[in-house]
Amino acid sequence: MFFSSALIILAGACYALLFAWSKVNSKRFIKLLAHLSYFVLVIAVVELTQAANFSGYWLLVSIIMVIGYFFAPISIWHLCVKTHDDHTITTRGGD
Amino acid sequence: MNETPRWASESFWKKTAIWVTAGSFLILIVLTFDTLSKTSAGSTRVPDYTVINQKIDYRFDEKLNKFMPIIGGEELLFDKKYTAEEAEQLVTLGKKTTQAKNCMNCHTLLGNGAYYAPDLTKAWLDQGWISRDMREDMMLKFLMDPENNARTFGSGRKMPNLNITEAEARGVIAFLKWMSSIDTNGFPHNFTSIESEEE
Amino acid sequence: MSSNESSAVLTNPSALWHKACTAVNRFKAWVALDGGNLSPGQTLAVKYFCVAVVLFFAQLLFGLLAALQFIFPGFLYEFLDFSVNRMVHINAMVVWMLYGFIGCIYWLLEDESGTEIVGLKWGNLAFLILTAAVALVVLVYILVQIGSGTDSSLWFINEGREYIEAPRWADIGIVAVMLVFAYNVVATFNKGKWSGIAGVLTLDLVALAGLYVAGMFYMTNITHEQYWWWWVIHLWVEATWEVLVGVIMAWSLMKLLGVRRKIVQTWLYIEVALMFGSGILGLGHHYFWIGTPEYWLTIGGFFSALEPIPLVAMVVHAVYDAGAHAFKNSNHPALAWIIAHAFGNFFGAGVWGFMHTLPQINLYTHGTQWSASHGHLAFFGAYATINIAFFYLAIQHWRGGVWMAGDSQNAWRWKWALGLLNAGVLGMTIALLIAGYEQSFIERAVEGSTWGGYFSAQNHPSFQNAMVWRLIWGLVTFAGLGLLIWDLLTIGKGETRKAQVIEPH
Repeated sequence: MFFSSALIILAGACYALLFAWSKVNSKRFIKLLAHLSYFVLVIAVVELTQAANFSGYWLLVSIIMVIGYFFAPISIWHLCVKTHDDHTITTRGGD
Repeated sequence: MNETPRWASESFWKKTAIWVTAGSFLILIVLTFDTLSKTSAGSTRVPDYTVINQKIDYRFDEKLNKFMPIIGGEELLFDKKYTAEEAEQLVTLGKKTTQAKNCMNCHTLLGNGAYYAPDLTKAWLDQGWISRDMREDMMLKFLMDPENNARTFGSGRKMPNLNITEAEARGVIAFLKWMSSIDTNGFPHNFTSIESEEE
Repeated sequence: MSSNESSAVLTNPSALWHKACTAVNRFKAWVALDGGNLSPGQTLAVKYFCVAVVLFFAQLLFGLLAALQFIFPGFLYEFLDFSVNRMVHINAMVVWMLYGFIGCIYWLLEDESGTEIVGLKWGNLAFLILTAAVALVVLVYILVQIGSGTDSSLWFINEGREYIEAPRWADIGIVAVMLVFAYNVVATFNKGKWSGIAGVLTLDLVALAGLYVAGMFYMTNITHEQYWWWWVIHLWVEATWEVLVGVIMAWSLMKLLGVRRKIVQTWLYIEVALMFGSGILGLGHHYFWIGTPEYWLTIGGFFSALEPIPLVAMVVHAVYDAGAHAFKNSNHPALAWIIAHAFGNFFGAGVWGFMHTLPQINLYTHGTQWSASHGHLAFFGAYATINIAFFYLAIQHWRGGVWMAGDSQNAWRWKWALGLLNAGVLGMTIALLIAGYEQSFIERAVEGSTWGGYFSAQNHPSFQNAMVWRLIWGLVTFAGLGLLIWDLLTIGKGETRKAQVIEPH
């Protein structure tokens, strides 16, 4: 139970890391590994859901984790790109 | 290159940060008022201090699927029936003693504290006090002279002598009895109380 | 008394004083630091850093004593009991981290505001008062230890509430000193210029001082007492401290790596939104079992699931930055500690936190060595590392901005200090994790948290072995700190190469 929840975070981080890496370095297998770690995350969530006997509201938390951790890195990546975007058009500035 | 979209701009996130913080804090304030009123002494979750005049047990509730405190009939502490005022005074003395003696840096109370000595949440109901009749006397002796009444359970860890007076010890026992009646959402789980032994 | 004797008494203290002065002067000559390299604000900052390092040392020393008592329960019994050692251990930690943060803020204040510190005299006075008060509190902890069950004990000896044991008089003093500090910050920005970083910093400091007040009241109702107690502990450690680190990091990123202000500030706001959005109501995960209503199980569980999001954001952003820019950096030890911070924060707060934060799991892990395991890695990873990184930045500047790199003379010292400290804390964390796992299994699940159950878990060989390993890794950590202090005193001493000036890009 403890380890499935630890695995969720670890797999979530691996997925985020590999996803971001696949954007920087567009190799096929990195993207594949990213999806693989997401797959591990889903299994860990399912494992935790069963081990902790989630029902009702708590199933919702599981679903949010599965969906949320999939989209979070993608949206954060977009945010990274967009917030750093203007740096190419503005001249050297800032402090 | 295109402009920075609104959702990635500094001003958008500044506003978001302010709104998210203010919103969360507001919700916390509302919940705090609700929680404080639902847990004042005398509420269903946290009984009045006069509960020390009553029998307390802690059992598994099949319907709620968790352990719950059970407040029974009269069971006096030190053969005395305390009025509301006396009970609060006694528990207050006990609570102040637990703080002044720094209990929390060895024990846990409601599961919070240090992990060098056992949890005190349900200490009043612990089977370590052997039987209901011996309990008060044993607790009193232990608190006032822990070195010679040591309860180490083979660990070698002894509570040090903390110069607890008899009045303070009675206060601590009253505080522990009152604390054991708090509805802690089923923590600790699987507990076998001193009462279940006696049946 | 003969005149001979009295003169001996009179001369002796002065001789002693003289000896102490020579020793201090010799030490200064050996360290050979030039105070002329520092601005007035930075001079105040390094005072805070010095006390922070002394308290860091005290934290580890008393931690070792407490660790020894798990193995030899008779060790220092009724002289320095576990409760005393453990209290000094955690209090020294809280206070040295606060000293570190205050030092960091004074360090960046002049640069960020573009002017000199307005109430520098007050700042220096506050430093002296705070340090004297801390010394007095610790002396009372160690020499007086406990009092009778009266209000005066809580006012003058010990409040007996984990992490905020400081007696009430010291509480009031701490708030007063924090207000002087906040005044300095606000007045300085007001005189110079405000910025996004300045705004976030000011609001965070107000919250920091305000929250402390929530922990300054006596309550007989223990449910209410622990409710407010967690306001201070959680909202400090998991909200305002995190944002404080965010502010320090934001400034460092501009100065160290030359990231542009607009980007840094946008991300500071994003971080505040994520941290406070998940952290403020994340408070719920402390309200599972203290008598508070059941809805806290739902709130605590949900927001705990959100708390890793800011960490995921950091991971993605770090990769983005690494891929998008090739950063130049001229302080390798500081950068190494910032990397340690990223990993430590992620594992300590993220993985170790989430492992036992859902109520279904926490029912079995609450009040066991799990919390100690999480506490060690999270405090070290999130806060100790960032402070140490800043110590290196400060010493580099103090040495006159010399080059500090992996190939410098005696670079093995900072590398080994880094390795030993990280390995030591990780080792302790894993030992405590094993102990906690055994406890939740034997004490909680099998024996149901009775005193008998507690002790059968404590006496179990796997628990005992874990405690031995914890002590061993504690000694490794201690060795690491010794090396770190030596390195901080000597690094860059013989170095003449100047560090590169980092330009914003």
